[in-house]
Amino acid sequence: MKIATESAEETRALAARLGALLGPGDLVLLVGDLGAGKTAFTQGLARGLGVTDPVTSPTFTIVQEYAGRLPLAHVDVYRLDRVQDLHDLGFDELVDDGRVTVVEWGDRVAQVVPTDHLVVRIELGDAENVRVLEVSCHGPRWRARHEALERALGDGAG
Amino acid sequence: MLLLGIETATRRVGVVLASDEGVLGRVELGGLADAGAPRHAERLVPAIQYACAQLDLGLDRVSAIAVGVGPGMFTGLRVGVTTAKALAQALRVPMIPVPSLDLLAYPLRYARSLVVPAIDARRNEVYYALYRTVPGGVQRASDYEIGTPDDLVAELEARGEEALLCGDGALRFASTFRRVEHVELAGPAHAAPSLPALVELAAARYQREEFCAADDVLPLYLRKSDAELAWDRKDG
Repeated sequence: MKIATESAEETRALAARLGALLGPGDLVLLVGDLGAGKTAFTQGLARGLGVTDPVTSPTFTIVQEYAGRLPLAHVDVYRLDRVQDLHDLGFDELVDDGRVTVVEWGDRVAQVVPTDHLVVRIELGDAENVRVLEVSCHGPRWRARHEALERALGDGAG
Repeated sequence: MLLLGIETATRRVGVVLASDEGVLGRVELGGLADAGAPRHAERLVPAIQYACAQLDLGLDRVSAIAVGVGPGMFTGLRVGVTTAKALAQALRVPMIPVPSLDLLAYPLRYARSLVVPAIDARRNEVYYALYRTVPGGVQRASDYEIGTPDDLVAELEARGEEALLCGDGALRFASTFRRVEHVELAGPAHAAPSLPALVELAAARYQREEFCAADDVLPLYLRKSDAELAWDRKDG
């Protein structure tokens, strides 16, 4: 499904609706160039998870954890080179241990993370501040939730 | 001898203090029934402090530090092994690293079958090894392996022997393992590496002065990959 937003705040509001829907173990891969709004999206998603601490880019910390309705792990794999780097982060356990995990530059790891994940691709739109978000479900667990996802994200979006 | 033992290869944080006479006291927190994200980093040091305080023993009395080195949970091992190494360096005492699968197998040394501990490795895989029981203990009869539950089932079926499975990996994939003939599952009491086993195995090595310097102690990491992460943005 594709949804257009017209401001960073609209992107956050959309992401917050997704955040409210997420459960333990959910993995969200964010794809998009620098400045596309991956961090804004994560900020909204965190809001939807009830995270109150400010969410900043984890480019240098690589993993940043937040407390919310569920724990949130915000991961940035931009600076990783090898699959081994992911093992060395304990990535498998982050995902497995009841958190919600959001990965920036997620296309880099799509082949090596668990099959069940959501991909959110953020692209620049025709006008300034317009973004087109393409959400796709991967794996049986997410495909089964496709309708609930459409209801949540379609509601109130442009 | 005062031995401090630390075991964090599963969701359970384990701390034990022991003298020549055996276990003085132990603290175990977390585990299978404790849902949510494990909290090794928050729990380990307070658990050590609590054990020392209640037993009225100062850390300066510790003569060696034993630590479970996995294979097992990555974040748990990182916290447990690093804490053990830091304490050993600060206290200037030697270390005794013990594989965590050995600590699961040892309490089942009276079994009359193969003993097969399996620790949950996530991503639908387990760490495992096969042990034979021998007088006074167990003897490892395979390498430390990582594989899917089906890999382990194939190994067990190929051997065709009676086997007793234990560990949180055996319990997580119980339905898979129960389908194998001649295989029995040990219950939740055998989900996490045993602290009394850590004391017994480490004390024997302490008597023989089989020590390790802190610098030489590393967790057993079995999950290795040389593959590179892709940069294939289709719309760069």
